[in-house]
Amino acid sequence: MLELIDISKVYRGGKRSLDGVTMHVRAGLLGLLGPNGAGKSSLMRIAATVTRPSSGRVMFEGSDAVARPEPLRAALGYLPQDFGVYPRLTAREFLSYLAAAKGIRARDARVRIDELLHLVNLTEVAGRALGGYSGGMLRRVGIAQSLLTDPRVLIVDEPTAGLDPEERVRFRNLLNELAADRAVLLSTHIVSDVESVASDIAVLAGGRLVARGLPEDLLRTVAGRVWEVTVPAEHAASLQAGHLVSRTTRTRDGLRLRLLASGPPVPDAEAVRPGLEDAYLAIVNQVAAC
Amino acid sequence: MLAAAGRLGRLAFGDFLDRARRPAYLVVLATAVGLGYLAVPDTDAHWVLMRVGDYRGRYDSAYTGMVTALGAALWLSLGGFYAVRDALARDERTGVGELLAASPLHTAGYLAAKFLGNVLVLASMVGVLAGTALVMQVVRDESSSVDPVALVAPFLLVTLPVVVLTAAMALLSETVPALRGGLGNVVWFFAWLVAVLGGMAPGIPLGGLGVHQPVASMRDDLLAQGGQVSEGDFSLGLTYEETPLRVFDWDGFTPTTGYLLGRATLVLVAVVLVPLPALWFARFDPGRRGGGSGTPAGRHVAPAAPAEGARPVMATAFAGRPRTPVRPGRAGGRLLTGELRILLRGGRWWWLGLAAITAAGALAPLSGVIRFVLPLAWLWPILRWSRLGSQRHEHGVATLLDAYPTPHRRTIAEGLAGVCVAALAGLAPLARLLVAGDWPGVAAWCGGALFVPALALALGTLSRSHRLFQTIYLPLWYVTANGLPFLDFMGACRIDGALAGPSPLLFLASAPLLLVAALATNAARSAAS
Repeated sequence: MLELIDISKVYRGGKRSLDGVTMHVRAGLLGLLGPNGAGKSSLMRIAATVTRPSSGRVMFEGSDAVARPEPLRAALGYLPQDFGVYPRLTAREFLSYLAAAKGIRARDARVRIDELLHLVNLTEVAGRALGGYSGGMLRRVGIAQSLLTDPRVLIVDEPTAGLDPEERVRFRNLLNELAADRAVLLSTHIVSDVESVASDIAVLAGGRLVARGLPEDLLRTVAGRVWEVTVPAEHAASLQAGHLVSRTTRTRDGLRLRLLASGPPVPDAEAVRPGLEDAYLAIVNQVAAC
Repeated sequence: MLAAAGRLGRLAFGDFLDRARRPAYLVVLATAVGLGYLAVPDTDAHWVLMRVGDYRGRYDSAYTGMVTALGAALWLSLGGFYAVRDALARDERTGVGELLAASPLHTAGYLAAKFLGNVLVLASMVGVLAGTALVMQVVRDESSSVDPVALVAPFLLVTLPVVVLTAAMALLSETVPALRGGLGNVVWFFAWLVAVLGGMAPGIPLGGLGVHQPVASMRDDLLAQGGQVSEGDFSLGLTYEETPLRVFDWDGFTPTTGYLLGRATLVLVAVVLVPLPALWFARFDPGRRGGGSGTPAGRHVAPAAPAEGARPVMATAFAGRPRTPVRPGRAGGRLLTGELRILLRGGRWWWLGLAAITAAGALAPLSGVIRFVLPLAWLWPILRWSRLGSQRHEHGVATLLDAYPTPHRRTIAEGLAGVCVAALAGLAPLARLLVAGDWPGVAAWCGGALFVPALALALGTLSRSHRLFQTIYLPLWYVTANGLPFLDFMGACRIDGALAGPSPLLFLASAPLLLVAALATNAARSAAS
């Protein structure tokens, strides 16, 4: 459906943000993980036709979306990481304006906006000026605008930041439901956001695609390398210095560390089932070490 | 004490560096070079910045320095004000203000640092102007000897105190809620006019712009050389001259103690003004700013930290996917409505003012409507027009809209919304012109109604800021409102009832060109992104 082929992006001043990334986005939810500065947002902006790649091609259903972005834009729902609103407009007016900018029929737009306002739980405040909305409410307005059309490609960049825990869970479920019949590209640095919903995961680090596969493929890369060990607090530092620690929990017996090691780090270390966060940290750490 | 001063200095310098590293700063410096060039025109040029009677001074260091410094004081007190009047707004937009507000930094200290940042920006322009003056003296080659002291002293004596006061006023205007927006720009334009006109008068407190003594000295030298000049025959500001001015020699002037005290007091007034807003400045507290706890206008919705620890609420958000199918359809009318909402929403006083202007347009004699009401009607929406082309960037909505289809349709709708505002504001004058059968007036009205919004759209699109249009339109409007016909875009200047200005066709033709310029700017930006 959407193909990003050998994408590189070099910003003015020579900063290289992406370096030869190739990625095919098909129906389903593709979770794009990566540390801050990995190039995720640049890739999302390129996929959303907001930025042009310095080199490489973006193909949408066989046509060049860099040269002719309109077909992709018509089929696209995009929620950027950082966006603004017109503070004097109400949520309903703002969405109505954006629906007109999308070229949606008036009657359809009205019904759809009502439905979306209900979906994002803003119906009761839909008549209030956006200038008085909190950050979380504005993010929900952003989510609503990304669903104004019935997008065949939905690109969402850090969409759950600012949402409360229950909203995050519900939103992840919504994305999962939407991904049944369209391509959803979800970028985040919060592993738990993609762990439960992504059918496909890509890891970006240093502007390069460093891993791509099903969650179980990524988990396989750290199989047998994840350990948990409880040590007195004063011994924790030496373990932390020598291993990649993915979690630290304070318990009555000392600190419980979850760490990655090719063999047991201490004699009484307990092998545990790896999680996606372990795999992600291992991949990113491996890239950083190179 | 010394540590506090050092901290202030670092804050001010950081502020200055942040501004100096923006592309807009290069434009500011380039403008300074342009102003320096205009101040010292070629012998054959038909424009002049300053004349004393029918004379100008020989371009030696003293005269070149003084004429450029006087011009700089004149221009930087206007353009410089607009250039630096973003110090607090930028901190609010970027969120830096909130960080500083949570630091131990005192409000007065913060204001002082911002003021010094303003001063540094304007002083750098003064420095560039002084450098340009030196280059122009060499280029014009009317005097071979360069006297650095005579060249630079006018900038220190005349220009610097004025820009220091301008820096303080710019900061002050940002702290007054009513003046923080575009209204502050308009108010400053008229305040500047009054200050400049009054500031050139003899006997003005603190020496005003600092013009009087140097010009008196020039007049004395001119008379001593047998020239003819009367007491008030002097002009400062770009004027057109049919014939080139004659040249006299000016040896420079020695400022009196009173003059020096006046200049120092001007600086002192600025310094006293700076901490004053600490009494009411809200220190980026949204509770004191008004408008609730929402995101400040212009601040983009950036991801906040996930509320992991927050108590779960019984939210019903995101329960199920939207089901209504959507089909494409005609949306031009709704797009225009949306753009009109964005332009016109808010400001009860604005609507009341518009109603008053409309009433005046309906009731005043036709000559008064043409000469006064129509210019006023097309000054009133300046703050609305200045949003054209710039608001989506200033509010951060562009990050959403850039991924939307058919961007040119939105630009056209935006321009049309601007035309609707012009029509709304000028409705009563148009009706009067139609009733009176003043067809040339109607044509001029149409030209203006298309030209002004198109100019706003083009400048807003180019600069992504509301300020460029405000800075250019105000002088353009002022020239016409003062009865100078050569740029009359609305048909307000008449000679025996006939249009005295350029043909309305000129403005009617300019409008589509400006629209095309806006579209081309967007297309070029998109291609270069």
